[in-house]
Amino acid sequence: MEKQQEEEAAAELAEPGGEGGQPEAAGAQEASPKDRLSLLLRLRAQTKQQLLEYKSTIDANEEETTEEMMQEEQIEAKIEGLENEIEEAKVAFEMKSLALGRIQLSAALENNLEDVNTKTTLLLDNMKHVLKLNKLIMTSQQESWDLEETLLNIRKKRLQLKQASESKLLEIQTEKNKQKDDLDNMENSDKIKAIRKNLQEEIQTTTVIQHVFQNLILGSKVNWAEDPALKEIVLKLEKNLTMF
Amino acid sequence: MSVLRPLDKLPQLNTATILLVSTEEAILQQLADKMLREDCSSQLLVHLATSLPLPSNVTRPQIDLIVFVVSLHSKHSLQNVQESLCHVDARFFLGRVCFLATGAGQESHCSVHHHTILKLACTYQSPLLFTDLKTEGFLVAMAQRLVRMLQICAGHTPGVSALSLLSLQSSEIPSLEDL
Repeated sequence: MEKQQEEEAAAELAEPGGEGGQPEAAGAQEASPKDRLSLLLRLRAQTKQQLLEYKSTIDANEEETTEEMMQEEQIEAKIEGLENEIEEAKVAFEMKSLALGRIQLSAALENNLEDVNTKTTLLLDNMKHVLKLNKLIMTSQQESWDLEETLLNIRKKRLQLKQASESKLLEIQTEKNKQKDDLDNMENSDKIKAIRKNLQEEIQTTTVIQHVFQNLILGSKVNWAEDPALKEIVLKLEKNLTMF
Repeated sequence: MSVLRPLDKLPQLNTATILLVSTEEAILQQLADKMLREDCSSQLLVHLATSLPLPSNVTRPQIDLIVFVVSLHSKHSLQNVQESLCHVDARFFLGRVCFLATGAGQESHCSVHHHTILKLACTYQSPLLFTDLKTEGFLVAMAQRLVRMLQICAGHTPGVSALSLLSLQSSEIPSLEDL
């Protein structure tokens, strides 16, 4: 690569706003003290900023970095972490300055409100209006909260009633089932069987006895139709004793 | 002194120095003229060079901002810039280097793909500006922008440093997702 000449187009065209006095310039006496002051202040700000930059460079150089070669991803991750730190610092600074501004504003407001004259009435009126609105908001919020409370209570009660009715129905059902079970048990129990058996035997005996009487009466060739007692005994055949 | 180092000399009072590097001298001259005509409260020194390293026989003040101008029409300018980048100290890339790409408008004449220059700017983590230095309006606008950047890099703007400007300009720096 051939070395080219460097053209130094050092055009020292200084155009500071308002002819800030260059010490070598002939028109130094024309520069008003105000402009000189502004130039000095600007130079001060510049020097401060440059000093800050140099200091930060020195601090950065003093920090010992590890000699081992880190991989690219690690370096990038580290860079990201550092950038995040910077962002957080910036954000914190912003918040703090905002808070400071707010404090200053409220302090100025207080001072403004202390001297009561026609100019501040607008501010006071606004504040009173804001307070009124806030009160309204609070009351309406309270009302809505109360209404919500009652609604909630009613819902709770409904739920409780539902649960009670559910339990009652469950009870009824269990009772019915129990009754049914009892009935079934009863029917299947042995006592009943024995009783039934006895009943059957008795019925049979009675039927036999009835038949015997009837046959006796018929066999004796008595006119049973005239005597009601005899009639009754003969006609008992009609009654089926099993159907009690 | 073959390697340019930032902040290695004491700054001159109220002076800011910019170094423009490109193979096309005419454009650099125009840009330099426009910059010097800008209304700026600090004194501006504009150095033009076609390549680095700079000859060490000349005493010069410390350089605050380096602008590498690459024309997308010629591969030679890109090569030139890539070779010059070796002579720049790493600490310069913390916000004191800017890449300028011209001629992106005429796609037919572009022999350098803009992807290449994007990758270059991404590798060096420096902002990349596209402009057309042949049109008067764009020239003036770019001159204004460079003057503002120069003022910040020289420390003439209280509260903003070159590094913070770099983090603010993160949209101008191509990232790996763009490629």
